[in-house]
Amino acid sequence: MLSPLTHDDPAGFGTYRLIARLGSGGMGTVYLARGATSRTVALKTMHARIATDPAFRTRFRLETDAARIIGGQHGAAVFDADPQAETPWLATEYVLGPPLDDAVGLCGPLPEASVRALGAALAGALAQLHSSDVVHRDLKPSNVMVTAYGPKVIDFGIARAAGDTHLTRTGAAAGTPAFMSPEQATGQEHTPAGDVFALAGVLVFAATGHGPFGGGQAADLLYRVRYSEPELSDVPPSLVPVLARCLAKDPAQRPTTAQLAAELHDGHGDFADHLPDPLLAEIARRATEVWQYQPYRLPAPADSALAPTAPDTPAVSRRRLLAVGGGSALGVAAVGFGTWTWAGRVRGKEPAAGPTASPSSSPTEPAEPKPEYTWQIAVGQPTGIDLTPALASVPFPLGDQVVLAIGNGFAGVHAATGVARWTTGEVEPNWQVTSDGTELYRVGEIKESVGNKGKPWPLLIESIDLSTGQPKRRVPLIGEYNGVVYEIQLICASGGVIYATAPGKERDKEMSYFDHAQSWWLTAIDSRTGKVRWKQSLPRRPDKSDRLHFLAGRVVGDRLVLLQETNKGEVRVVARNTRTGAPIWDKPFAGIKPEQVRERLTTDERHVYLGSGTLRALRLSDGGEAWKVPGRVVGPPAVKNGAVYAVQKGIGIVAVDAATGKVRWQEKGTQGARTDLVERPVVGTNYVYARDPSGLRAVDVGTHTTAKVYETAGTRFCAHEKAGQVISYGNRLLAAFPLQ
Amino acid sequence: MERPRPGGAPATAPVPAARQIGPYHLITRLDPPGGHVTCRRFIARSADGDRTVLVNSPLPGADPGRFAVEAEAGRRLMGPWVAPVAEVAAPGEVPWYAVPYLPALPLPVALAVHGSPLPERTVRALGAALAETLQTAHAQGLTHAGLSPAAVLITGDGPRLTCFGAVRAAAPDGEQRAGLPGLEPGGIAPEQVSGGRPRPPGDIYALGAVLAYAATGHTVPEGDELPAGLRPLISACLSRDPAGRPTAADALTELAPPAPHATVLSSAGSLMTPGWLPGRIVAALARQSAEVLAAELRLPQPPFTPHVPQTWN
Repeated sequence: MLSPLTHDDPAGFGTYRLIARLGSGGMGTVYLARGATSRTVALKTMHARIATDPAFRTRFRLETDAARIIGGQHGAAVFDADPQAETPWLATEYVLGPPLDDAVGLCGPLPEASVRALGAALAGALAQLHSSDVVHRDLKPSNVMVTAYGPKVIDFGIARAAGDTHLTRTGAAAGTPAFMSPEQATGQEHTPAGDVFALAGVLVFAATGHGPFGGGQAADLLYRVRYSEPELSDVPPSLVPVLARCLAKDPAQRPTTAQLAAELHDGHGDFADHLPDPLLAEIARRATEVWQYQPYRLPAPADSALAPTAPDTPAVSRRRLLAVGGGSALGVAAVGFGTWTWAGRVRGKEPAAGPTASPSSSPTEPAEPKPEYTWQIAVGQPTGIDLTPALASVPFPLGDQVVLAIGNGFAGVHAATGVARWTTGEVEPNWQVTSDGTELYRVGEIKESVGNKGKPWPLLIESIDLSTGQPKRRVPLIGEYNGVVYEIQLICASGGVIYATAPGKERDKEMSYFDHAQSWWLTAIDSRTGKVRWKQSLPRRPDKSDRLHFLAGRVVGDRLVLLQETNKGEVRVVARNTRTGAPIWDKPFAGIKPEQVRERLTTDERHVYLGSGTLRALRLSDGGEAWKVPGRVVGPPAVKNGAVYAVQKGIGIVAVDAATGKVRWQEKGTQGARTDLVERPVVGTNYVYARDPSGLRAVDVGTHTTAKVYETAGTRFCAHEKAGQVISYGNRLLAAFPLQ
Repeated sequence: MERPRPGGAPATAPVPAARQIGPYHLITRLDPPGGHVTCRRFIARSADGDRTVLVNSPLPGADPGRFAVEAEAGRRLMGPWVAPVAEVAAPGEVPWYAVPYLPALPLPVALAVHGSPLPERTVRALGAALAETLQTAHAQGLTHAGLSPAAVLITGDGPRLTCFGAVRAAAPDGEQRAGLPGLEPGGIAPEQVSGGRPRPPGDIYALGAVLAYAATGHTVPEGDELPAGLRPLISACLSRDPAGRPTAADALTELAPPAPHATVLSSAGSLMTPGWLPGRIVAALARQSAEVLAAELRLPQPPFTPHVPQTWN
């Protein structure tokens, strides 16, 4: 939990000297620090880079205010703060106890006596908050620190307090909606009774190790929160009635905090009397460990050329900048924002190093062989709502950056150096982001719609500023579509037009699933005016389907080429007129599973190239088959400079003339036999790159043999032509290798 | 000894006179007033804030020379259950010594916090750790001569034995030691009270008294007060005849029977498993830790207030 400072951590903030790291994430870092008066504190910082956004700075200040209101008895006592500093910081008490989710992870479900004492104390904490007209809004196990003399509540749902109750954002912001109230899940006002609902969820978790509505995908959870009975079968029977009342869908049926406290516990004994031994031992360990820790600062990586430090982020360890996977709160920090995703849980949760150690992971071993990557950084897994995680997006090049889904949003990384440029603060299903090669678009959030009383909201699309990750321009609101569904999909963008699927607005409440009563449209939207150029009806999806309408799409000339998924899970190749949306041709892509071709559509100005089986080409003009290569089983193809490349099963790289389908060459030797058939090859000038079990293999286009194998943990690849790099992504590492 | 008042000393009992001992600024007393401790103990911190220590100084009127000798000799005491003397006063200075700070409660405070005598399991674990320490000391030719309830500090991972040589420091051999300040009347072996040179069996007597205190709240227990499982050992330790007392090794075997498959790890530490300390004691340790972390030294800044003496606030 206490880990050494890194070489690029600053000496301190304000009058506080840094002693150790407690955790770090995409938004900031929490340190153990010591002030001029010798007081030791938990010091939470927000990256200066992020704090340039006034909205985040405001959130930081509100969080500070809320922490002051809850005070030191029920929260982490605030000692000092400077929300105006270039790097805003907040100094609080260093809380000696694990967060409840860690406590349950460590000790197993808590005994009934613990649950009752915890519940009564938390009800008291909420009562104090509510009497100050503050509603917590984000009570969940990771926000409850269990100390020996009572729980301390941290991390307020400030985003919601500021008025953002958009359904998808709320679910996303909390990381999981498992502890959300039904009224919160439907975007209605979250009152003190909503906190009572969440408190009961936290107690169910404490007693059983799971939330009252189980786990799984966010959309499933939201549905169950709203419509299903809580799962209380393994809750101690005497607790069931009171918890069931707290979990009533109707806020008016729930007990008040005072009733709840009285019903849970008669107040006998000390809080510590009710805690199980392993939890007490953990608290004792934390209380002692902080005094035994020897401050230490890690040396700079031996080969500093491999670890450039972003000059504009002096307070941030670049290595950790993107390490935003994992839990939603720090295991050890006294404070943290509920809406932030932290690397946290420092114990054993460093992003896993792949077969190639990153330079910073072994800074003390300069003798290590020089890695072959241009750069490598640890990144978090996407944690956003993703109905079909198997369809995770690939990174894609955009300007001098690589854009990828990461943590609870998207991030831009400078492709030549690996320096992280920005992260978006919000969760997006990754199909709600697209680019035309210049601009990055995403489905936005509609702040002014708060108070819309569950009415459909107009669809909002925003352009993202590629220097900050913040919205820079809005496509005017599109009133004829309902903006409140996960399945809205930005398919592609080209020539100032965004192609998207969107639901009609006949529904008068928001949805978290496909719903058979809902109409769907494929639509072309002018990215400047928001004007709908055309719309074409799409088949309705059965209730609760999670099949997106489109797997991939791109514009070639006047054709919008799409891989479309049917209700039955079949894939069709469809070309439409970009001016009208009318289908020009529609061909089956037989024998293919949708996930095999997600974001793997290969075209040039003449053909669509299909692989993942037999390699063939369809004419863009009429959809007819231009050629096919019989007798060879291949993976998905790539095309460049008049040649189509694919991995052939048992052989390796095969190159085919794009115009005729004539095989130009195939790989020699035995090394190609184990090449991955899932990914498209990446085509350079001298080499074609493909993944095999030993890493990223470069096959020489002149000799048709393996020229080099780069070790990499990556599983998905793309070419960044401008930076001259092959971008490799997977297993929490993003790396770049020379594209030659 | 009387059972301490429930509540004991608050962890941040104020220090009456703003004070500094050696380079350390006092934060709070470790012991409640009125206890039987042969020295004064404070939680204190260096001016730069980087070293927090327990600092010990002699009681008023005590012989500073003998205190300094014992502090120096105490550095030879070894083992996991000893608070290691890290720093002693320079020659000629008013004597003191410092050990690194850990959240710790003197045994009488632990009883007060718990509200009753300690469970047998806790007493056994404490006893085994103390016996192990005495075994090591005696093998080195050292006699602790300072074991008493207040000399045992309870920390989260086991006891820490302090106050090395307190009996020798209180009065030279040959002088009566009954009623001397700080000495626990019922906790000193009869041969030492009468002025005898402290020897290992005297430590065993003190061990018996400490265990009796932990298990009953009294160093001189009624026989039937003691838990049956501990009664034979404690009674043997408290024999008036030094020859009738067990050795430290015997006591350790009795308190922590060797595992059937003994390893080098078999020691008193194997008894400090989760649950060895009652919850309220853990809570008091955590609270003390939090309070000392949050404690501030308000030292005047010399460039701005050059004439104001350093004070603790």
